[in-house]
Amino acid sequence: MVISVSHLTKYYQVHQKEPGFTGSLKSLFHRKYYDAKAVDDISFTIGEGELVGFIGPNGAGKTTTLKCLTGLLYPTSGRVQVLGYTPFERKHAYLKQISLVMGQKNQLWWDLPAIDSFLLNKEIYQIPTEQYTNTIVELSELLDVQDILQVQVRKLSLGQRMKCELIAALIHRPRILFLDEPTIGLDVMMQQKLREFVRNYNEKYNATVILTSHYMKDVEELCKRVIIIDHGKILYDGALANIVKQYARNKAISVIFEKPVLLEDVKKLGKVVSFEPTKAIISIPRAKSNHVASQLLEHFPVADLNIEEANIEEIIRDVFSKREGLGIKGTQ
Amino acid sequence: MKLYLQVAKNTWDEMTTYRFNFLMWRLRNVLQLLTVYYLWLAVTPQNGHIFGYSRSLILTYILGASLVGSIVFSSRTQEIGENINLGELSQFLVKPLRYLGYWFARDIGDKLFNIIFSLGELTLIYLVLRPAIYLQPHIGEVLLASLAILLAVVMNFFIGTLLGMIAFWSPEVWAPRFIFFTLVSFFAGGLFPLNILPLPVQYVFALLPFGYLQYFPIEIYLGKMSPLAIAQGFGIALLWSVLLYLLVSRVWRKGLKMYSSEGN
Amino acid sequence: MKKLARYIIIWWKLTLGTSQIAFQSRFGALLFLLGKLLRYIFFLLFLVLLINRAKIIAGYTFLEIVLFYATFNFLDTLSQFFFRNVYRFRQQILNGYFDNLLLKPLPSLFHPLFGGSDMLDLVILFFATGFIFYAGLHSGQVTPLHIALYILLLLNGFVITLGLHIIILGIGILSTAIDNTVMLYRDLTQMGRLPIEIYQEPLRGLITFVIPVGIMMTYPVRAMLGLLSPTGVIIALFFGVILFLSSLWFWRYALRHYTSASN
Repeated sequence: MVISVSHLTKYYQVHQKEPGFTGSLKSLFHRKYYDAKAVDDISFTIGEGELVGFIGPNGAGKTTTLKCLTGLLYPTSGRVQVLGYTPFERKHAYLKQISLVMGQKNQLWWDLPAIDSFLLNKEIYQIPTEQYTNTIVELSELLDVQDILQVQVRKLSLGQRMKCELIAALIHRPRILFLDEPTIGLDVMMQQKLREFVRNYNEKYNATVILTSHYMKDVEELCKRVIIIDHGKILYDGALANIVKQYARNKAISVIFEKPVLLEDVKKLGKVVSFEPTKAIISIPRAKSNHVASQLLEHFPVADLNIEEANIEEIIRDVFSKREGLGIKGTQ
Repeated sequence: MKLYLQVAKNTWDEMTTYRFNFLMWRLRNVLQLLTVYYLWLAVTPQNGHIFGYSRSLILTYILGASLVGSIVFSSRTQEIGENINLGELSQFLVKPLRYLGYWFARDIGDKLFNIIFSLGELTLIYLVLRPAIYLQPHIGEVLLASLAILLAVVMNFFIGTLLGMIAFWSPEVWAPRFIFFTLVSFFAGGLFPLNILPLPVQYVFALLPFGYLQYFPIEIYLGKMSPLAIAQGFGIALLWSVLLYLLVSRVWRKGLKMYSSEGN
Repeated sequence: MKKLARYIIIWWKLTLGTSQIAFQSRFGALLFLLGKLLRYIFFLLFLVLLINRAKIIAGYTFLEIVLFYATFNFLDTLSQFFFRNVYRFRQQILNGYFDNLLLKPLPSLFHPLFGGSDMLDLVILFFATGFIFYAGLHSGQVTPLHIALYILLLLNGFVITLGLHIIILGIGILSTAIDNTVMLYRDLTQMGRLPIEIYQEPLRGLITFVIPVGIMMTYPVRAMLGLLSPTGVIIALFFGVILFLSSLWFWRYALRHYTSASN
């Protein structure tokens, strides 16, 4: 196991202040605190080379978990072991094997070209010159940024900057890569490129990658395993494919007809999502989908027919909206 | 007019929002004032004089300079530079208001807040340290000093505006302001009365605006100036005010041309 | 030793980067330097004017006062030079940059304290050193012992500034509400431009023992002038060590309570 977390809890003390000037004066002497439970007793393990996605709404505790794993935050209670280290001790031997990339934050020096920040990291991580040069050449080719390494970071586009951030984070070839919303704000093409790159890195070095993202696409394309968190608790931990089986109650059948058909006839089969005389999409409970498909083929002039799984994003939304009583552990 | 009152009021409200930072800023002022206060206390003999100032006169001078400084130097004009550099000026140009009037209103709001705190601090210092304060018995001197403060406020506003409008031509707005503050912190008279300087230096500074921002009003209050010197001082300060005003309006026109031609 | 060499290399790179940024606007950098120099010289001239008339200030002659002033500037500039990053720290916490710094295989205090110095400060440092030498050599009988004590106490003063800067950083981690802590520190220490004898109680007690401006800046000079008792030396050193150790403890405490709430 590369990462093992048991009963991790992180509370923040939040102080309440009465409004107005007298309120602030009062709060100077006497403050009321309450605990905000960012992460509430979670446990999981992650193996070497795994690519795991953390999903959950804002404030669910994803980032807090990530920060506990990287040693930025001191856990309120529970045990966290990563690569055999306790992250918060911040042992240099540990820090040299991990990297954290945060989508909205940058570690590059804003007023200098990216290459200067890379050189600094070379010193900090004590990377031999040869390895450093090879890594830079390889990564900048892969990400297609050879031309912009000498350009002041503030003059780069968001996408270019993110690529450079990734390089800076990977110079020391970390065994574990933590990605916190890495694709935030990027356009679709750039998101795609980053995802390919991350998968590539994972495969090539057998690196473990932990990812949090709002974009289901990131998770869908990259991660076999997902951990769903909400209100600081794990709702689901298991294969992505299983969520679909477990939670998606409906499938969608889309058909194209050779000649126009009547809406009433189609309605008899299930819930019609969209209808044109020669086209229809029908939503059907999973169990009945095969039956309905054969009915369609039998009784209608079908030119083309497709059975689709419901959209993952919808399923997840479904999971969150019904989370009460759903502490189900997935099977892997 | 009502509009500008509202701007001043908003500035005031803004300061109550950032009151922690503001309190910190005032505390810093007090610490600096105490340093100067104790230095002069240490060099002035109990019943003697230094540079023609008795103990009570020089301490009144230092405390008074602090109050005048709070009135004259509290300003928002340092934000003009940023305003122009970040292109926020455009927001103002499309509104029916006078840009400089807007900033002057902000200055007023800022000043009122600072004056109240400055008076509070001085009262506190007076109650704790019990210095012998010189009270000017003649109303005339007090009125003249107030008039001089008014002129100082105007001059400082124009200078601050000019320093901000550097932004039309260059993003380097902080360095020139830093130089100005450095000069002001010595030659406006907050640290020492300017008449302790060697005579030739005094003559030069009599022609420059610095001394009229702080030193001139307090000296009038202390009754240390002859009617001739007062008249002369007012003449020069008035001349500077007019000159600065002409300069500001000229630079503003040119700057605007520059701004609009760059298509901000 | 190897570790230290590595830290120095990293510090040097950070400093090069910082200086490079400062020099991107040469005009601005020069004006700032000019401003600092003017401030240094003007105050010195003011002291000359004052002493010319008063002859002695709080029992000290002109050269002795210059020695106090130069010692203050030396320590003040030295700490500004080395701990420049403290002034940027709040911003780094707010924009999440500090998270990145914490993940580097370096001591957690390394970056927050030494994250890049501004070479321009060296000019002032150079001036201050010159004045210390001049005033030190010309102010009466200075024995080698006194010079040694001066250097020792100056080092002690530097350790105290180090401790105070660490405490300021810790406060920055615990609360981002106050952004002027470091400036407040500077305004308190600027009282050390002059010997603390000029201040009266209770202020003098405050800046001797609470914010130890006196121990940092006045004690070394008193030692050089042979005016500090052995007890005074011991108290000063004791104070320095205690303050430094407590600042480290405070830093660890602050890190445990870091909330990384930048977003």
